[in-house]
This record gives sequence, C-alpha cells and structure tokens, in this order.
Amino acid sequence: MPLSRRAFLGALAAAMPAAILIRHAHAAAVDDLAASPRILQALGEAVLPSELGRAGTLAAVSGFQRWIAGYRENVELVHGYGTSALGKSGPTPATRWAAQLDALDRTARAEGARSFATLPLERRREIVRRELKALKADRIGAVGRAPHVALALLAHWYDTPDATNRCYDVHIDRENCRPLAASSRKPLPLARVRA
Amino acid sequence: MSAFAKRTVIESDVCIIGSGISAAMVADRLARTTRGRIVVVEAGDEAPPLGQRYGLRGRFMDYGESPWPKDHLDGYEIDGPLQSRSMQVGGLAMHWGGVTPRFSPEDFRTRSMFGVGTDWPISYDDLDPFYQEAEELMGVAGEQGPASMDPRGKPFPMAPIPLTYNLGLLKEWTAKAGITMWSQPVAKNSRPYSGRAECCRYDTCSPICPIGAKYSPDFTFDRLRASKRITLYPRTLVRKLVLHDGSTRIASAQAVQRSARGAGTPVEFRAQTFVVAAGYVWSAHLLLLSASSRMPAGLGNRSGNVGKYVAGHRNQQAFISLPIRLFPGINGQHSLLTKQFMRSPAGKEYLRHDLRVWESTFDRGPRLTGDDGALMLGDDIMRDWRERTRTGVARVRAYYDVLPDRSSELTLDPARKNAWGDPLPRLAFRDAPESAALREHSVGVIQTLFQTMASAGGGTVIQREEDDARGWQDHPAGGCRMGDDPATSVVDKWGRAHDHENLFVVGAPTCVSAGCANGTLTFTALALRSAAEIAR
Repeated sequence: MPLSRRAFLGALAAAMPAAILIRHAHAAAVDDLAASPRILQALGEAVLPSELGRAGTLAAVSGFQRWIAGYRENVELVHGYGTSALGKSGPTPATRWAAQLDALDRTARAEGARSFATLPLERRREIVRRELKALKADRIGAVGRAPHVALALLAHWYDTPDATNRCYDVHIDRENCRPLAASSRKPLPLARVRA
Repeated sequence: MSAFAKRTVIESDVCIIGSGISAAMVADRLARTTRGRIVVVEAGDEAPPLGQRYGLRGRFMDYGESPWPKDHLDGYEIDGPLQSRSMQVGGLAMHWGGVTPRFSPEDFRTRSMFGVGTDWPISYDDLDPFYQEAEELMGVAGEQGPASMDPRGKPFPMAPIPLTYNLGLLKEWTAKAGITMWSQPVAKNSRPYSGRAECCRYDTCSPICPIGAKYSPDFTFDRLRASKRITLYPRTLVRKLVLHDGSTRIASAQAVQRSARGAGTPVEFRAQTFVVAAGYVWSAHLLLLSASSRMPAGLGNRSGNVGKYVAGHRNQQAFISLPIRLFPGINGQHSLLTKQFMRSPAGKEYLRHDLRVWESTFDRGPRLTGDDGALMLGDDIMRDWRERTRTGVARVRAYYDVLPDRSSELTLDPARKNAWGDPLPRLAFRDAPESAALREHSVGVIQTLFQTMASAGGGTVIQREEDDARGWQDHPAGGCRMGDDPATSVVDKWGRAHDHENLFVVGAPTCVSAGCANGTLTFTALALRSAAEIAR
C-alpha cells in the first residue's frame, strides 16, 4: 500500500537531519494544502463573513495559502527598541495546521458526514468552536502564532486592507500607496453591493 | 575588489567613525566646505539598496521579518537596555520614524530657568541655523507652530504633511481641551525633494519606507560616494584610537576589516582629524576601549565623565475613547504635536513634556469573543467590529524630561567580549535624585491632563501605559556630554574633546540632556555645528 504524505514524513523523521526534515515537512504540508483545498475552503466559508461570497472567500483562502507557502523558518525578525535581544521565526506552522484540517475532517466523519466540507455551515462552526474552546482561544492574534488553523485564517484575512475597508465601509486602503493630498478628506464610500 | 586589497594603512584628512545620521551630516558639510580627503568607517554592512525595499517591506508586513537583514554584528548581546542592535551603513536612522521636532529653547537652560539639571554651553539660538541646515539636508516637512512655542529663524524647507481627516477631527477635540496642536514635522517628503519621491502613505516609515520618501543617511552617503567626495569602508570595526607619541593628538584608528571567516584583516586609519560619530553607545565605548598606559581611563576621559550622564526620557501614554468616527489607517504614523507644556509653570514643581496625538486602532480591532465571552465566527465578528468602530480611539503620549544622574552610565563589561576580545558595553539609566523625586508628580500631572482631554471630548481613558521596559529611557543620548568646564564634561561646545585637539565626538553622545522630544534632529544639528568647527 502506498504511504500517505504524512506517513512518508513520519518515516523520514527517523532517517534525516532535523533541518532537512523541517524543510521537507514544510514543503509537504504546503503541497498538501494546495492539492486538497476543499477542507480549507470549507473552513473559510464557516469562519469568514458571508458577505465575501464564494469568490471572496476563495480569494481569502488562496491568500492564506500563499502566506503559508511563503513562510520561512529561522529568519531574523524585526528587532525592537530597548533590547539587544534578537528573534527568529519559529518552526513552520503549516504542518500543525495541516494536521488540524485533517482532524476537522476526521471529526466530521466520526459524526457521520462524508467530510467536513459537506457539513452545513452551522455544523462546521460548531466543530470549530469546540476546537477553539479546547485550546482556550480568546483572541484572533497574529497569523504565525495562531494555535489553530481557523484562527490563522481569520487573522490573515482580518489583517488585510480589504477587511478594514469593509468594516468601515469606505476606501481607507491602508498601507497602500495613495496620494498624500487626498488624506485630508473623508474616505470615499465603497461602491459595492452587500451580499 | 576590496578597498583594502592593496594596502592596510589608509590616510585622510578627516576620518569619521560611524556612518549613522550624524556621520552623514558631518560628511556632507565637510564635503561641501573643504577639499580634504574624507573617509567614513562603518563596522556594519551596506544597507539594502532602495530597489529592494519594497520586497523587504512585504516580508516585514507579512511575516514580521527584519527588513534590514544583516544589520547587526553577531555576539553583541549586551547587559542593559540597548536602544537597537542596528549597526549598518546609515545606522539606526535606516529604520527611524523620521520624526523631527526641534528641542525647545528651555531644554538648553533648565538650570538657569527652572533651577534643575545642567545648562548646555550653547543656546537654542546658537543651534537654530544648524537645525535649519539639517532640515534642508534631510528634507523636513513641517508646519510653523505659534512663534511663542515654536521659534525658528527660517521657514521649513517643505510644506507640512497634510493632517489626515482623522487628525483634523482630533485637532478640533484637543482645542476643546485648550491645547493648540499642529502637524508634527517629519523628514518625509510632502513633495518630490532632493531626487526622492513624495510620500504616498505606505505608513511603514518605521521600520522601512519602500520608496525613499523618508530621509535615511544612505541617500547622503550614496551621493557623496558617487561624486567621489568620500570613501566609505563598511564591515570595518574600529577597535581603538591611538595617541601620537609625545602629544595628546590622535594618530590613528586601529580597525579590523571583518571577514566571514577568521579574525579579519587589521587596518590602520591615519588622519589629521578624527570624528567619532558612533551614537550614544559606541562613541563612549570606543573612547573607553582606547585606554593606554598614558590614558588608563580611556581617551578624552581625564574628567572621568566618558560614559557618564547617559540621558533619555520616559513617556506616559493613554488611549482615549471618543464619540467621534475615525477611520484609522489613512496615515497612521503621522501625528499632532504641541509644545505648550515645554515650560515648567512658575511656582510649581518642575515638569516639562511634549504631547502628541495619533489615531489608533487600540480596542477597535476585530475580536474573537464578545462582551459576553461567547466565541464569534463568520458574520458575527464583522458585525461586532463594525459596531465597535462607530466611535474612535486617540492615542496620546507625553515625553517628560528626565534629568540624568552621573551614574546613568555606560561602562566596559568584563564578563562579555566581542569576537576580537574587546569588552562589550554595559548600560544602566539612572535618574538624578531631583528627577527621581519628581517622577510621581510628573506621572500624576500628565495623567490628569489625559483625563481632562478625555472629558473635554466626552470620552474615556481606556488604557494608561508607561514606557519603562527594563529601565530603558527613550531617545537616548549623552555619554560624552559637552560643557565649558573640562572637569565636568568630555567635549567642548563644538564637540571637540577637551583632552585631544584633533578628536571630535558628534551628535547624540554630546547632549547634556535628552530634552522631552525625539532627539534625532538635535543630534544632526549638533553634528553640523561640529563640522563647521572642524572645517574652520
């Protein structure tokens, strides 16, 4: 019987130096998420606002996948003031998040569904709520430090200029290049139709 | 090819040690006003070129990665609250916020005006033309405040960064509290300036401007190098200054060109004049490392004051909820400023502070749990976020004057050494007793002010903070303070070491106190004033 990707990783663990193994584990998790995005997409539908619609949710999930693919371990982080201590990025969260997506799917199957993605939205949310409560999650936080993939997806999207614009219903377009002269006027309303 | 391939002795008229913002000012002025050979020696690496900064900003925003890779020397973890590990061409000002208030006239005369601290040997008026020169060199966009609070000899070189819609509303609010505020001066282009782009509100000024609209010293060094007016030696750590035999003049700077492997290549810089422009830590550190049998306490240190009187200031900060709708993110790093509190009130205990106001997202971000503690998902998070952002939050902050004690100091740490065996510095900030006694009063008055401001706008103080992490004080300076008396200071009013006629220390380390506003513009003005004396 062929080994699954994660079983293959487990077998590798015994045989490869840690640094190489971590690199491969990250790449494998990224490939895994890209190859089977249905659970992640279904999670996006459950946790992100419905006004994004299918296309908007897909775009948000794709952006999150790109974030995961771009993650680099052991890279120096921006250093703060008032200390000579330096920090580096930690181990990839991709492997943990991929496993959590599998766990969501397993839970759904255990409850009689074909998969997490086929559950009604409210049932998906119930499962996610249960997972987050078990982790004592109480804030959205930063993407890279999210203890659960659902929180990471939320953190990633809510940190976008699009999320801010939608919240305020105007074009703030923060952290994008905008004419200096326009900054004094009230931001223009979004020209869109709410779902 | 390495600049050292053919020789290990480098001669010049002026050798500038360090390549931060003060070094850039000195190099620029000497290049314009003299014909001398100028070399600049920098321990760190080159900064990434402008063309790479958009991508570096992206990695910073997405992943929190340092946008200035390789901007420090390994093995320099020190004991004490170091302002920053940054050590590269351009220094800390590669990632500064570009905020450029001047000190106030009162900052230079606290003893004679208020009976506390130490008067500087120069006045605000002495520094005014050099403030102006620094503002023109860097490109400062500013709004003239009321002349009684904000005196200046000439207009700002650029019109101010416009107040955002948010800051316009917040200015109206502070006026209700009787506070006159205006646009914070900044070294950011409100129009194309000096070959650099106009600011377009990327809003990541600190740590990185992706388009060069914010001034950083690499622009000056690039220009001076392109015109062959200076030679800059990166990756070259000066370990010691050496005296001439038989005189107190400095003969050479002994350095090592760092290599990826091994101890590096020894290099000797010989010059008529040496300028130590290495900031508040590494300037005093180098003088202490330069101890010899003739100067056992280090160079410039017959008074014993090298490394003493390290100065900074603390701040009180609050977040105030206001019943007005703000739209955070229009240009979040820009702020309002007032100098209304720079004069200590007559007949009351000493307190001077600045005051700045920003838009804020504090307590107005999306959240996972509602007020009832229930976990939200889907539309509930957005609905809750929209509801809570119907009102805005202002961030208010006051830097207040902290008078340094002599024991607020940098010393050599016998327990920690760099890769070449030189002791690293150890840092500790300590308030002068008179300042320590005033701390509680200062905090109380500023908190009362914040409460008054909140009430004037029908708002509420929702959070108070003090920036005193690990004993750190902000915008640090001092360590080689200037003065007329060689017994109580390290350099004279021009930055020339009392003990060595051809040795200058410039910028931050020469400050007598740190005032109560961001210090960089003052450091650069002092450096330009020193350069004027060097050129004479």
